Amino acid sequence: MKPILVAVVLLALAACTTIRPGPDAFLSAETVIATAEKAGGDEFAPVEMRFAREKLASAHQGMEKQKYVVALYLVDQSEINAELAIEKSRAAKSRRRVNELRKSNDELENKLRATFGDVFE
Amino acid sequence: MNRSLKQIALILLLAMLVACTATPKKDLALERVRDDLNNLRANPELVGYAPLALGEAERALRVAEQASGNEIYRFHLVYMADRRIQIAKAMAEREQYEQARDVLESRHSAMLLKASQLEAEQARAEAERARLLVATTSEDAQRARDEKDRALQKEAESARAAELATEEAQQARRLAESRASEAEFARREADLASQQITSLTRQLENLQLRQTESGVVVTLGDVLFASGQTSLVEGARSSLEEVVDLLQTEPEKKIRVEGHTDSSGEADTNIALSQERADAVRQALIDLGVAEDRITSAGMGEDFPIASNEIEAGRSRNRRVDVILLDN
Repeated sequence: MKPILVAVVLLALAACTTIRPGPDAFLSAETVIATAEKAGGDEFAPVEMRFAREKLASAHQGMEKQKYVVALYLVDQSEINAELAIEKSRAAKSRRRVNELRKSNDELENKLRATFGDVFE
Repeated sequence: MNRSLKQIALILLLAMLVACTATPKKDLALERVRDDLNNLRANPELVGYAPLALGEAERALRVAEQASGNEIYRFHLVYMADRRIQIAKAMAEREQYEQARDVLESRHSAMLLKASQLEAEQARAEAERARLLVATTSEDAQRARDEKDRALQKEAESARAAELATEEAQQARRLAESRASEAEFARREADLASQQITSLTRQLENLQLRQTESGVVVTLGDVLFASGQTSLVEGARSSLEEVVDLLQTEPEKKIRVEGHTDSSGEADTNIALSQERADAVRQALIDLGVAEDRITSAGMGEDFPIASNEIEAGRSRNRRVDVILLDN
């Protein structure tokens, strides 16, 4: 029991004493957020976009407060929210296209039925 | 500074020790995420659509479940697993929509194809109906066409005929016009001729003419000379003009002027007198334009009377000058 305890303590200490991350730490998250913006994230996934931006801001704050580990977690969380925003936007666009297509098909079908009568099915 | 840092480190260490030594209790957040993933896996509409993302979510969740260490870290892992599940769900939804889209697009194409087939069928049927109609009425149509052709031909012919007629009419009109002018001309000539004839007739009426064996004899009465005189009286010349007109109608014939007297007086005297009078007339005729070589004169005296010398009327007739247009 005792050696485990010691190991955990050592691990925890190691975690807490992580050195300050370089400026590149934010780069990936920022890139993905930009991609999400282009994908229409603000329209199709506004909640996730807000999370992504808030968590990135919190990460900056954590960095200032030298809470590097937490800051890095927040950067990851920011990025994955941006990823989710991208996927949600793509899904929403697909849904929109499907709805448009369905409507168009219905219209076409009605038109063809009107033209050809019961022969058309 | 150093002191406070040491204090913070000590507090942090104690907190971590508390966290780490805490036995893994029931993690409600983790359970909720696990439920989400299980629901997603149980959703038959979505489960097959994003296998890779679903696998990543599964791994992330397992990491979270197996994670030991502090609360912040574990919370972070659970959070990441939750997001991974949401991402897998969104991707599955998108894939589902994409497949629905494929189906809809196929349906769209199929409808258009069917429509074009039906259209073609209708067109074929229409064409067939038209063909039948044409077949059944082709005889009539041919007849109608022939009739129409004939009518057109007739029309064309009549048009040509009309044109021809117009042309002919114009030609005729032109001809008539020219003929009319010719006729006019002829008429004028005729008028002129008739005028001449009339005037000649009048002259001939005034003159005493006799046809003899020698030729036509124009007798000029005893109005040309005073009694016993051999020169023409005033006004005789105009009478002679008429004689000249007559003579000139036959310019090739020779002319003989004969003087005659009545039986009174001496015969020789009468011959001389008649000769002189004939000469005077001859000269007057030459003066009026009769060619000199055509005309001869002779004094005949009293020996060729045309009436009785017993009475004055006869003697007056015998005193005369005959102008003869000789036949030979």
